Amino acid sequence: MQESTFSAVPLVAVLLPWVSLLAILAFPKRAEKLRLWLCFLGSLATFGVVLSMLPGILDGNIYTIKLASVVENLEMRLTVDTLGYYFGLVLTFLWLLATVYSISYIDHKHNRFFAFMALCESFILGCAFSANMFTYFIFYEMMTFGSYPLIIHEETTMARRAGYKYLVYAIAAGTVLFFAIVAHYFWGNGQLGFGRYGVLSLEFASRAALLTVFFTYLAGFGVKAAIMPLHGWVPDAHPAAPSPASALLSGVILKAGAFGIIRVCFNVFGVDLMRELKVYPVVAVLACITIVVASVFALTQDNLKRRLAYSSIGQVSYIILGLAMLAHDGALGGVMHLAHHALMKGCLFLCAGVILVKTGKKNISEMAGIGYQLPITMICFSVCALAMMGTPPSVGFVTKWLLGSGSLEAGLPVYIVVLLASALLNAAYFLPIVYIAFFRWEGDEVEEHGERHHPKLVFGKEADHELVVPVVILAALVIIVGIWSNVPGFPYSLVSKVVNVIFP
Amino acid sequence: MGAWRHFPIFMITVPLLGAVLLPFLGYVREKWVPYASLLPLGTSALLGVLLIGRIPSGGYLSYHMGGWEPPFGIEIRLDYVGLFLMLVVCGITTLALVYSRRYIEKEVSGGRRTAYYVLYLLMSGAMLGFVATGDIFNLFVFMEILALSSYALVAITGNRNAVRAAFKYILMGAPSSIMVLLAIGFLYSVTGTLNMVDLAGRIAESGFTEVLIVSYILLVVGFGVKAALFPLHMWLPDAHSIAPSPISALLSGLLVEVCAFALVRITLSVFTMRASDLVMGTADAVGVAAAAAVLYGGIMAILQKDLKMMIAYSTVSHIGYIFLGLTAFTAEGLTGAMYHMLDHGLAKACLFLCAGNFIYLKGYRRIEDLKGAWGQMPWTCFAFALASLSVIGIPPTAGFISKWYLILGNVEGGKWLYAAVLLAGSILAAVYCLRVIYYMFFQAGKEGAWEEYWHDAPPAMLLPVWVLSLATLFFGVFSFLIIPSLLKAAAYLL
Repeated sequence: MQESTFSAVPLVAVLLPWVSLLAILAFPKRAEKLRLWLCFLGSLATFGVVLSMLPGILDGNIYTIKLASVVENLEMRLTVDTLGYYFGLVLTFLWLLATVYSISYIDHKHNRFFAFMALCESFILGCAFSANMFTYFIFYEMMTFGSYPLIIHEETTMARRAGYKYLVYAIAAGTVLFFAIVAHYFWGNGQLGFGRYGVLSLEFASRAALLTVFFTYLAGFGVKAAIMPLHGWVPDAHPAAPSPASALLSGVILKAGAFGIIRVCFNVFGVDLMRELKVYPVVAVLACITIVVASVFALTQDNLKRRLAYSSIGQVSYIILGLAMLAHDGALGGVMHLAHHALMKGCLFLCAGVILVKTGKKNISEMAGIGYQLPITMICFSVCALAMMGTPPSVGFVTKWLLGSGSLEAGLPVYIVVLLASALLNAAYFLPIVYIAFFRWEGDEVEEHGERHHPKLVFGKEADHELVVPVVILAALVIIVGIWSNVPGFPYSLVSKVVNVIFP
Repeated sequence: MGAWRHFPIFMITVPLLGAVLLPFLGYVREKWVPYASLLPLGTSALLGVLLIGRIPSGGYLSYHMGGWEPPFGIEIRLDYVGLFLMLVVCGITTLALVYSRRYIEKEVSGGRRTAYYVLYLLMSGAMLGFVATGDIFNLFVFMEILALSSYALVAITGNRNAVRAAFKYILMGAPSSIMVLLAIGFLYSVTGTLNMVDLAGRIAESGFTEVLIVSYILLVVGFGVKAALFPLHMWLPDAHSIAPSPISALLSGLLVEVCAFALVRITLSVFTMRASDLVMGTADAVGVAAAAAVLYGGIMAILQKDLKMMIAYSTVSHIGYIFLGLTAFTAEGLTGAMYHMLDHGLAKACLFLCAGNFIYLKGYRRIEDLKGAWGQMPWTCFAFALASLSVIGIPPTAGFISKWYLILGNVEGGKWLYAAVLLAGSILAAVYCLRVIYYMFFQAGKEGAWEEYWHDAPPAMLLPVWVLSLATLFFGVFSFLIIPSLLKAAAYLL
């Protein structure tokens, strides 16, 4: 790692979400609106603090603070490098919007929901800012258990069952991951930190040992990143959770797994060692299978959020595929997709939430003509749906373009076939929703001036501002970030710095 | 020669002396007994804290009782690890004593209350002596005080089940004491000394003979029963679940650990032949038993319907953890085992005291009855949840740190299978702990099972529970205060 400067800002950022917790403890029963807006302030302040580090990060600074160390080499340390900062920025932003959204969406047990929202934000931010695998694992496990109450918030039988499944997967994954880290520590000469070009090498350990470490890491993080066949909890957890929680699950918590894999590939093993060990074809095949199969599964789902969940499974594997290409553009596209997918899928899940709150409809087959009732929501939904297919000018297009270019660079055009197949399948499962929302009115037609026609679109009255504003912001960003990706703070500006170092 | 040189012996004798004086106070003013009994234990704890930093690094503090030089006099030998364990003992016994007053008022009938506190002090003092002594016969004496007082404490409520459990305990405990005594007799007959260091020297001189082999195996089995190592654990689940909750906390949180520690000391400082076939062969056998304990205890805990039974079986499993750390014979494994004694002691004591709170307030013992407990007893439930996380080994609790070192130690010793067993053990722990947490927090209770308003245990019962559960968190986050010195001490022991 390059020179890093001491700074308490990362710690402040990780602790700020706890402000919401204080607000909840201070008035557990009274002043509900005030309490919830204080939670929003906590989230806003966190985002603000993270944002304040942007100029320094763009200058190439690295901020670090040591929290505690058990023994030498085994320490809790927060370090904000460009990659970690990128993830931190994405997640605090999405969290901010989801918090606003929740203020109107959540209708019972506010305290529990907001408290665990805040805790999870703190923990995932800790993951993003971890300086080594030890710290990462600690925050990762806390995040795993902190997100359980979010998933079962509705307390229906379905939610309980989903939560149970989630815990089974998470505990098994946590155990495998724990083993991976111990093995990493043992064979990596006690080096758990994230090196710029990786820290493991064949000097200290045999090939078989390093392969064991790699695949246990992949299995451990693969559960959260929903690599097939480890994805089982995702399609149950997303529909069961309240919509803002699903948006965060898909937008951030799945990414915590993917981010772990990014760290393993870039900073633990390093690209050269990955080439030497020849692990990347296995990873790429797994990712390709996941992309295609998840999309096929998505086709058959009638429950909207379940369809979105399957779509997430496929999309997160774009990130994995990008890494496995071991090429400049592939890595760029993959890592940028982390933010892109968070924006798109966050928006889609929030839209699904608006539909659920306003009409009570969960299944796509019931949604005929819903675009007339919820025009803004459904327009935003359509924008994101098109972006998911990779239509320019949107973030989805940027990802597809870079991944395509990366596969040519890697000399394996077969990946392009997979990407195209995925785009096609995306179209096949997203466009019908858009179609029946706007072009199939099954209600009574309105008679006006002697003509019979569909009701007019009425804007601005569909739902509370807390619900609509985050949706609109996300949909707008899907386009804006797609066009001006190089604006400081947008994905390209940050990710390219990381990738340019690794693939000079 | 400062006064602090006498502190180790005072730490042991003050509670024992208190136990002797307490009946007189009980005769005059029974009401004062619970408060008065705090005094000796508090004194010991204070003396222990004052001793921190007095022990030369990598060395030990030796105290000669009555000024008689060892090997003729009795020696008290306190190294860093010993002091560490004595402090754990002082802390947990004091907290459980604070807890005892209200609980005992309800559970134990009037005439026996003073006896309870007397036995309690005897047990605490004996535990402290047991850890610190450097004389192998003295070790036996303290073990007997410890065992006898704990038999009586298990049976103190006097109801049928309690007496039966205590009887079962005696049935296993008494032969084990005899085995230890026999082994000590053998050792004495061969070497002519009882001082541990002296013994080690003479054994090294004479090489090991058949008598030594027999006595070592007797010691392992004898202490194995007391430490409830599978398959010698049969007495534990009954005794631990039926005893009054503060006593369960001591039995599960301290007694079994202390016995495991005694075995370690004997192995490492008396039979110093690390490489010899005897110790290594026994260690292999103990390792197998410990691995079986981890899995068996975990599975049995999952099958239990009674909360305290579940916690007791979890102890069987965790004793396996400790022994797996010890048999790894690496500094990391030993550190993990020592740290696990600390955090398992804290967490288990906390769990038993929480279970005691449910029994005290509602009389609920079954896990099913805890559905929806959160609504009425949030403080107890939160403490229970936190301690459970430590039992599972989820970061940042202390359980995570010890699990880390236990597994690392086994990996470094090349024992991959045992590392896998430890991981499997923590999955089992997750199953049985999370089920209870799930019932408490996320399930609605039966109609009328829990009142609508908050009505938690009294402060004197909540305080110890919270101190213990926060301590598991504290020692997880601030493990760097202890781990480096433990690593050093472990390297020195090996």
